[in-house]
Amino acid sequence: MNKDRYSNPYLIGALLGVVLLASFYTMGRGLGASSPIARITAVSLDTVASDHTRGNAYLKRYFRPDRAVLNDWLVFLVLGAALGGLFSAFMANRIKGEIGRGPSITAVPRLLLAFGGGAFSGFAARLARGCTSGQALTGASELALGAWIFMLCIFAGAYATAYFFRKEWL
Amino acid sequence: MGPLYKFGFFGHFSSLMVALVLGFWFGFLLERAGLGNPKKLTNMFYFKDFTVLKVMFTTIVVAMLGLLYFSLFGWIDFSKVYILPTFIWPHIVGGLLLGIGFIMGGYCPTTSIVATVSGKLDGLVFIFGMMFGVFAFAETFTSITGFYNSGAMGVVRLPQILHLPSGVIAFLVCLIAIGAFWAGEKAEKKFQDFEPEGAPTKRFKVTGAIILVILGLVLMIANPDKAMTKDQEKVAPVEKVVIEAPKTTETPAAVEKVPEVIIGDDEGC
Repeated sequence: MNKDRYSNPYLIGALLGVVLLASFYTMGRGLGASSPIARITAVSLDTVASDHTRGNAYLKRYFRPDRAVLNDWLVFLVLGAALGGLFSAFMANRIKGEIGRGPSITAVPRLLLAFGGGAFSGFAARLARGCTSGQALTGASELALGAWIFMLCIFAGAYATAYFFRKEWL
Repeated sequence: MGPLYKFGFFGHFSSLMVALVLGFWFGFLLERAGLGNPKKLTNMFYFKDFTVLKVMFTTIVVAMLGLLYFSLFGWIDFSKVYILPTFIWPHIVGGLLLGIGFIMGGYCPTTSIVATVSGKLDGLVFIFGMMFGVFAFAETFTSITGFYNSGAMGVVRLPQILHLPSGVIAFLVCLIAIGAFWAGEKAEKKFQDFEPEGAPTKRFKVTGAIILVILGLVLMIANPDKAMTKDQEKVAPVEKVVIEAPKTTETPAAVEKVPEVIIGDDEGC
């Protein structure tokens, strides 16, 4: 196996399955990445408008008297994921300051679309109570109904609109 | 017997260390598969590269088989593994929106983090976008609370809906996965205009498919549901006490508390 090239996707998937299973076995819960973003958002907003943030009908759930907002299992999971991703990219000489995009789009439109796509994802993950990791991967392997429906809808949404974003990627 | 944390084998601080270790491998593996690269991620929606499908579906199948075999062997108490309750309408709309966000932004939440640490500026911008999305959601939450809680079905698994044992569903999922992999590879052959990295040999693929079919078949015959219901029977008396308790004194308060625990978002994504 050449360490500078991407690995066999099936092998990676199987190892990720083992990581997910290890999470079930040790913690009794799956993986996730969207609520840490929500927690970081809550902490950031708290520094600018504390009363407004802590009084918000949704964000108030993150403020507990006994525990800091970022003192959370998934926050540490995402921290670990950032370290692991960094380690892998470093080992494979893939750390490079760049903007990921297709050949027919310039930098600024691409960044605007990245922001827009992020906004959609951030909103959607809160609405659906999870993202591709916490809902789709975790829930689907537990054979949860909602997770399978959610995952099919992700692919449906992306395939249905891919045509309109072809200039961004192709 | 697992889940270790729920049986009190370790506390909160150790659980955070477990999160760091699991997260490390999670991020490491995503990066190794190339899922920190938005072109590779979105190429799936133009039928050029099905890495996303291959990684996701293999992960699901392996974790699913592992969970069911662990229950069968009595290594894990499945009733103590957190399952996110189904809210059918928010799941459908949320899924569609996340799909649009995926193709528009080039990432899903986890992959944007992996992209950012490998130096991709658009990954970082995507994360800022997500934060804005969370802000927008929080600001509009009071007007969409009704929709957020619509279609509540509680914790529902496919075996209950399809009236089939988990083992049979698991076998079907294995077959669907193999079918999806086959179709994905077929599409790649037709549309892929570059040399793929890390493509497995034919022998690897055939061996993998045979292993999946065998593991699925064994599960179908062994029926892990028997072991799982045994776990639930053990838990049942405790649940009964909880239900009966409110009758004696304060009914409304106790009833209100129950759904709050379930929808608490504490263990979900």
